[in-house]
Amino acid sequence: MSEHRNGFLPINTNTFDRVFIAVVLFVALALLWMRFIEPFAPLWIATVISLVIGQWIVRKG
Amino acid sequence: MRNSTTGWLLIAPTLFILFITGLLPFLYVLVVSFFDWNTFAVNPDPHFSGVENFRRLVFDEAFLYSIWLTLKFTFFVVTSQLVIGFGLAKLLSRNVPFKGVFRTIHTLPLMVAPIAVGATWRLLTIPGLGPIPHFLQKWFDVSYILSRFPDQAFITVVLMDIWHWTPLVTLTLLAGLSNLPREPIEQARIDGAREWQIFWDIILPFMKPVLLTTVFIRLMDALRTVDEVWMLTGGGPGAETRFIGLHIWRVVFPKTDYGYGSAMSLLALYMTIVICWLLYVAMTGMKDNKQ
Repeated sequence: MSEHRNGFLPINTNTFDRVFIAVVLFVALALLWMRFIEPFAPLWIATVISLVIGQWIVRKG
Repeated sequence: MRNSTTGWLLIAPTLFILFITGLLPFLYVLVVSFFDWNTFAVNPDPHFSGVENFRRLVFDEAFLYSIWLTLKFTFFVVTSQLVIGFGLAKLLSRNVPFKGVFRTIHTLPLMVAPIAVGATWRLLTIPGLGPIPHFLQKWFDVSYILSRFPDQAFITVVLMDIWHWTPLVTLTLLAGLSNLPREPIEQARIDGAREWQIFWDIILPFMKPVLLTTVFIRLMDALRTVDEVWMLTGGGPGAETRFIGLHIWRVVFPKTDYGYGSAMSLLALYMTIVICWLLYVAMTGMKDNKQ
């Protein structure tokens, strides 16, 4: 859990850091989507995008 | 290798208290934020509303304005307190006359409760009664009325916070300065380094952990300021000093809109965590930084 990795993120991270970054991005994207994009596209698209980005960060970040 | 079960048993009471006082209320607020729950509504029972509270708050201009005001307030107070606090800490780390007396007087505001600080500043600034409006009018011909001029109210709130919390910054930075190793500084002086070079290349890097801790403490405090401002301006004039804490209080208690208040509280917490984390990463976490 505490093993540091040198991924594509500009900081050295462990698993907790990467999960944290994924959650932060998830919330930010959902809020921005509701504010600016939801009239044109439903919120579940943002959820899918966030989950894909989150998984990418946790695996490769 | 030591038995880890003993370690876990020893920290179990602390973990239990942290769970009861920290994690459980957070989870409760998280759950409530997904409910429409207003005890003054036609249907006062909580019912699940999904992300409706969050959808409502991203369009709530009053709430977004309170976020902007809070960020502005936090920026001004934290930077001012760091600069003034560092200057005073440097001064107090030298042998100046009456150092002890000044340090005691300077620390006094820390011992005053925030609500009393707000009440004191209110007395100082009431037109026709307080000395500040009187002397500003007499000496500079400035009309100083907090309930009328938003800029005056905001500046006064910032000054009050600086007055109240700069001593904390001074004390923590003074502790950091007094623990600095002397050898690198003396070595740099022998090598002909200028004072600003010593400050920038030696003192600041050594002070980074203390600075970071101090900034975090003040940042989190400033982002959740309520009581002082409530006593001094009540959030006014209009909503010009209504910071996030005050705004949430007005929604949750007088209007009993618990679901929406919880969503706003969570967003405030999210903002605080993200700002602190970004600051931490910027100061310590980059890959080329070995600390």
